[in-house]
Amino acid sequence: MSLIFQNLRKQYGSNVATDNVSTDFAPGMIHGIIGPNGAGKSTLINLTAGSYSLTGGEILLDGRRLDGQKKHRIAQAGVARTYQNIRLFDQMTALENLEVCFYATEGGGTWKEVLWPPYEGRQNARRRDRAMEMLRLFDLQSYAGAEAGSLPYGRQRMLEIARALVMNPRVLLLDEPAAGLNHHETAELTERLARLRHPDLIMIVVEHDMDLVMSLCDRIVVMHHGKLLFQGTPAEVQASPDVQLAYLGTSDDIDDIKAAAASRRAKLGLRGRRRS
Amino acid sequence: MAVAETISAGRSRVHPAIAWAVLAALVALIAVTPFLPNYYIRVANSLMIYILLGIGLNIVIGYAGLLDLGFVAFYAVGAYTYAMLSSAQLDLHLPLLAILPIAACLGAGMGILLGIPVLRLRGDYLAIVTLGFGEIIRIILNNMDWLTGGPQGIARLDKASVLGVEIARPAEIYGLLVVTVIVAGILVWRLERSILGKAWAAIREDQDAARGVGINTTTAKLAAFATSATIASIAGVIFAASQRFVSPESFTLQESVLIVLMIVIGGIGNILGIVVGAAILILLPEVLREFSEWRVLFLGLLMVVLIILRPAGIVPRSLGPDKLIRGLFGK
Repeated sequence: MSLIFQNLRKQYGSNVATDNVSTDFAPGMIHGIIGPNGAGKSTLINLTAGSYSLTGGEILLDGRRLDGQKKHRIAQAGVARTYQNIRLFDQMTALENLEVCFYATEGGGTWKEVLWPPYEGRQNARRRDRAMEMLRLFDLQSYAGAEAGSLPYGRQRMLEIARALVMNPRVLLLDEPAAGLNHHETAELTERLARLRHPDLIMIVVEHDMDLVMSLCDRIVVMHHGKLLFQGTPAEVQASPDVQLAYLGTSDDIDDIKAAAASRRAKLGLRGRRRS
Repeated sequence: MAVAETISAGRSRVHPAIAWAVLAALVALIAVTPFLPNYYIRVANSLMIYILLGIGLNIVIGYAGLLDLGFVAFYAVGAYTYAMLSSAQLDLHLPLLAILPIAACLGAGMGILLGIPVLRLRGDYLAIVTLGFGEIIRIILNNMDWLTGGPQGIARLDKASVLGVEIARPAEIYGLLVVTVIVAGILVWRLERSILGKAWAAIREDQDAARGVGINTTTAKLAAFATSATIASIAGVIFAASQRFVSPESFTLQESVLIVLMIVIGGIGNILGIVVGAAILILLPEVLREFSEWRVLFLGLLMVVLIILRPAGIVPRSLGPDKLIRGLFGK
């Protein structure tokens, strides 16, 4: 059982963002999606999470159709995600950002919580413990009471991943998790993500940072002009003449891509500093 | 260092002495008011009805971040429910305790009715549609003469009574209002801290990301509209019972705007702020009666000064009841 894409197609008017993409993502592995800007990588993430609706094809998680369902239902089915531009609940504390995720399963008990304080006490304590545990996993416990928007940029990235994981998702979609991070933070991120590897978790990382992708991922999907160009292990991807020709081109282009990634980082980094 | 500061700022609390002084002053004020002349009790009653309305509207505006300008419609629903079920209008004379649940259900139903069409709207668009809704209800009340008495309204409503105790004089209404405001305040405050309250905050912060963590924004928003409308409807019942007269004139757009102003001036998203905001907007005109023609100017000036000096309101969100309680008990 796994996450399966069948002939995914997303079209905006006459503009085709992804075309006939079919692949599958096995649990227990870290999957990378790479490709130049506009290749349709983020579109795949947004389609899976239900942020965009499909024009054609099917997305199946453990045999169940995900596409066409409401976004919150997809989340409840076990698909968690992070965003390219961090989207935390800025004015809520780091702890609350995680606690609120329990609404999906426990929102129905709200009135019982309001009217019966002992029940609320138990529920709150349990949610708090689970959320704190997750914060500790990401070394964020000292920020628990701080507003999410006031955290340093790098910590906001970590908090967003922690928020995605707090409900034990089946699928974790990371949309450029290293964007805006410095070298040191990227190394920390790589190490943390590697430790998240779990037999039941399907992890998909969209990323421009080639070093991160090549060292972290078990399998890589290469997108080009909305089409799936190649998939395989990092070594196979690096060795593939197709990929080199169409995506990496000559060795000069690798430097171009690295430079583009660096400038992208710098841009997002600026935003991060402004926010904090 | 910066981290430690952030966290300690998050945990800072009101000084116990100040917290106790505020609480003592409030209790003393509540205890003394029924023995004042009727005029003062009436002002206090009107103040508490607005506090109740503010607590209700704050759920939608302050917690869920949805600007609702038609709130007064739910207030009207409650008031007319009492007027029709407890007067010669339909020759029904139900007791207050029977009308309250009926009005609460009607209010909740109307809240959901308004909520469904505006689910997709936010910000300005939402404000415009809700504003229209408020006007529609007022105009319906104005034109359905055979049922609502039209512009003349419904007069000579029954005196309210609870379990055989008559509640008609200002001091008696005052007692009913104190109980209602305290119960509503505590329930709504607990609601704010509940998991649903957090979901509302998440919707306010980023609706799309809220869906992304599995929050059904449709039901959460409808819950906000329904609870806030219920409170407004109950406020309307008590208003009608105290005036023993209702007419569409009491439910104009200006009332909705006044309640929004109370919330914004007092401190959006904070029950304590609403009490302060209501006190300022209801008591100030009473104190400055001789200058009543300047009233709107005063309000405008107050808004401008506040926007410059305290954009988050007089009592900001961060200084909520939790902090007051921690101050009281030093926990």
